[in-house]
Amino acid sequence: MSINIRMRGKSVGGVAEIKALIKHPMESGVRMDKKTGKPFPAKYIDVVAITVNGVAAVDAQWSGAVSANPYMAVQVKANAGDEIVITLSDNTGDKGTETLKLK
Amino acid sequence: MKRRSFLKGTLATGAAAVAVNAGLLTPSTVLADWNTKAFTAKTTDDAISAIFGASNATVSGDVVLKAPAIAENGAVTPVTVDASGIAGVESIAILASKNPIPLVCEYTFGAAAVGYVSTRIKMGQTMNVIAIVNAGGKLLKAEQEVKVTIGGCGG
Repeated sequence: MSINIRMRGKSVGGVAEIKALIKHPMESGVRMDKKTGKPFPAKYIDVVAITVNGVAAVDAQWSGAVSANPYMAVQVKANAGDEIVITLSDNTGDKGTETLKLK
Repeated sequence: MKRRSFLKGTLATGAAAVAVNAGLLTPSTVLADWNTKAFTAKTTDDAISAIFGASNATVSGDVVLKAPAIAENGAVTPVTVDASGIAGVESIAILASKNPIPLVCEYTFGAAAVGYVSTRIKMGQTMNVIAIVNAGGKLLKAEQEVKVTIGGCGG
């Protein structure tokens, strides 16, 4: 199943703030299901990578303590027309990717 | 630097996914890049050592940590770490001191990135948010207490 990502960004003076909103439950595996007394199975995004024109810019590793439906913002040195790609995957192997051409 | 291979790795995941489906590999072996030791550490010091190899970070005013003094809902605490005033930022880690697993996230930066991260984290109770910045092998730190008030009226 692919993970839904929304990404925005605008380059101002050579630096672009990239904002991404990801649709994901981010279940840490610690939270208990009161009905069964067992923890909900872990399902969270653990690896995120952002590239600028194909060159790795930001690599992130997350634990289940990042909020559900994660929001992240990073800043990269990029100009209008540059291509930003975000790739991520969760601990169950689901993946998501999104491409943005900077304005 | 191993993590740099993540993107290249996605090209190879086609083959890896077949292996996963066949039950030959568990997902954790495919994503060996994920720092299991750091993300299973139970104390902040252990987690910091597991990432950076040392836990003696010095408090620095150049690390700007923005977090609310009082979070009404600990499950979505906005946290921003701005280290753009520091040259050569290699990575930023965000930790929540009293979470069962203190390490929340770790960002590694390439040449095209600025040392800046904004995200939202979960916090189970009132505790300190810690930002660790690795700039050229030097560990810099900023720490701030966030009061979590969900279900009550302050504390």
